[in-house]
Amino acid sequence: MYTIRKECIAMLLAGGQGSRLLVLTENTAKPAVPFGGKYRIIDFPLSNCVNSDIDTVGIMTQYQPLELNAYIGNGAPWGLSRNFGGVHVLPPYAKSDNSEWYKGTANAIYQNMSFVDMYNPKYVLVLSGDHIYKADYSEMIRFHKKKNAECTIAVLDVPIEEASRFGIMNTNDDDSIYEFEEKPAQPKSTKASMGVYLFNYDVLKKYLTEDEADPNSSNDFGKNIIPKMLGDGKRMFAYQFNGYWKDVGTIRSLWEANMDLLDHEVPLDLKDPDFKIYARNYAQPATYISSTAENINSLIAEGCTIKGKINNSIISTGCSIGEGAVINHSVIMPNVTVEPGAVVEYAIVGENCNIGNNAVVGTNYDNAESSDINICVVGKGRKIADGETVTE
Amino acid sequence: MKMCGIVFSNIYDSTMGELTAHRTVASMPFGGRYRFIDFVLSNMVNSGIYNIGVITKYNYQSLMDHLGAGREWDLGRKNANLYILPPFGTGVSNVYRGNLEALNNAMTFLNATKPDYVLMCDTTVICNIDYDEALQSHIDSGADVTVIANNEIKSYECDSNDFVITVDENGVVNDLAIGYMLDGKPLIGMGMFIIARKTLINIIESYVSRGRYSFEKDYLLSRFVDGSVKINAYEFKGHVLRNHNTLSYFKNNFKIMNEEIRADIFKSDAPIYTKIRDEAPSYYHEGCQVKECTVADGCNIYGRVDNSIIFRDVVIEKGATVRNSIIMQGSRIGAGANINYAIIDKNVTVSPTAELMGASSVPVVVHKGDTVNGK
Repeated sequence: MYTIRKECIAMLLAGGQGSRLLVLTENTAKPAVPFGGKYRIIDFPLSNCVNSDIDTVGIMTQYQPLELNAYIGNGAPWGLSRNFGGVHVLPPYAKSDNSEWYKGTANAIYQNMSFVDMYNPKYVLVLSGDHIYKADYSEMIRFHKKKNAECTIAVLDVPIEEASRFGIMNTNDDDSIYEFEEKPAQPKSTKASMGVYLFNYDVLKKYLTEDEADPNSSNDFGKNIIPKMLGDGKRMFAYQFNGYWKDVGTIRSLWEANMDLLDHEVPLDLKDPDFKIYARNYAQPATYISSTAENINSLIAEGCTIKGKINNSIISTGCSIGEGAVINHSVIMPNVTVEPGAVVEYAIVGENCNIGNNAVVGTNYDNAESSDINICVVGKGRKIADGETVTE
Repeated sequence: MKMCGIVFSNIYDSTMGELTAHRTVASMPFGGRYRFIDFVLSNMVNSGIYNIGVITKYNYQSLMDHLGAGREWDLGRKNANLYILPPFGTGVSNVYRGNLEALNNAMTFLNATKPDYVLMCDTTVICNIDYDEALQSHIDSGADVTVIANNEIKSYECDSNDFVITVDENGVVNDLAIGYMLDGKPLIGMGMFIIARKTLINIIESYVSRGRYSFEKDYLLSRFVDGSVKINAYEFKGHVLRNHNTLSYFKNNFKIMNEEIRADIFKSDAPIYTKIRDEAPSYYHEGCQVKECTVADGCNIYGRVDNSIIFRDVVIEKGATVRNSIIMQGSRIGAGANINYAIIDKNVTVSPTAELMGASSVPVVVHKGDTVNGK
């Protein structure tokens, strides 16, 4: 038995169904949804942990966990295959007195308190598996210590007109939080919660235990734990995050976040050698670009064969784009074959799809207002017949 | 787990000129993201060979960095290991005088390992091969040694090191020559031999002690002339890319753009593994023009690239033109530079407006880390 203690461990909530991603999450948990050509959404929080020197991560899974489990494996791609610590997938399990699914975000961690106890950490970082951002959590931990806080919540500034879509933190001059409002109609501040919480473990443990005993609670951090702690006058602070952050919970936002990678104004650098985003790699040769190909402002991962025209799009690992095919403002997920002459516009095409000869997917919105764009989604593994037209 | 593997990493270093000044021939970059040794290691692992010794003598830092514990090839496990075998003691820093001398340094490995057979491989021949079939052929033949060989095209130019054989209807070698094209339907050895481990240990001990160092010339050829060795040939039918020298290496890189060769060498049921570098996907910027190229991850392409191999993390700036060239990892081609028929080694900076013109038969080679000045 080790008696080493970890200063901080991360607990990553990855159990959500992500039902607003429609067909993309039919058989896949949201954190395992492909992103940016060679990544999956969960690579971002996991890589953030590793780049912040957090080497112990519990991933709580519940919905369609097979693909996510296989993807995480022993954690080696993220450097998380450790002797003591590393990454652990934590599904709900049967106990002697009762067995239940994770009832809410707080309950998921409550059910895994014995896991946390194994590492006896001073701090617990609670993360969610559906946001795209790069953040050094070690700075947040420093802030937490400096403020002598019991709970620190990462916030980012959002435009005031969008603030009512978020959980908003109202703070004093010293960044201490005096009020938390979930999706306020009349927001008082623009500090939106990023769903990143840092707790002193002893405090968290007490609140999780009390929350569990409360039959009226929905066992949720935002709805129950945070308001309760505020009500008790705990030392709670808002940590200001500056940088790119995007919730990719909807088809539209997932498409936008992918397109952001093609926008030079957006500060999300996948190439920073000091802050890499790690991913599980599959052995694929370098991409072949034929003499008939045309690539305009696009990201293309390895293992592809490109013979068509790629315009403002993301082509993921292992795809084949046939001669005369056109991919326009679209996200093509891994191992998709687009046959010659097919046209894919303003669409997300799920993994392993086959788009037949001269098929048409999506609609051209090149001259449309952004608000009119309706992204077409093709679910994982679907076959679109030759000549077929799919617009939604 | 009937067979273990021995990989010779240095033997043909001298044939690659500048490119092996700072690396073993085994760590020669190939095909945008690979090193020569990736192919032989992946083939071994895909064939169930899990005990592999890599014999090396000098310049092996880049090789060790590349291989690590072998995790990326699914080695470095309790019952699957990669051993890097540098020389004992100090010795003269030179290439081994032959593969038997090299093997003599790997005696500890050969004695300690359990499998009954040994597969010995060079790294310069690239293919995707199932060694399990070759082993079965060796066992069925009852021969002392099996040589893996293929039938080359008519116009093939024999290299001085080529192991050329003809075989009878049972696959038994009936004529043998080194560096000389035999009449009839010759097969060319692929630098891969299968032999019983105990037999190999005996050969090493008795030959090296008599100052004879070449497995092919001193053992196989002379014993074949005596009629005291039975050699079986296993004919490999897939595509084979032989890298004899800088020029054939240069040409072979372009061959993987041929759809048939690409599919044959990079099989999804027998993948070729390499070191993971966690690069982002490559970015093709507005205004770039990329035609007939192989491009790895992590590149930023603004300029024009034609018929070229672009390794990981390369930048080709606006207005630069790269044609018929190989640009290795981390190199940067400045704005307006013009490159034709060149091999640009790792981390080279080609300054804006610089020109580098080689010929298809004599590509220009730019040394690792060098800077090419502009006009």
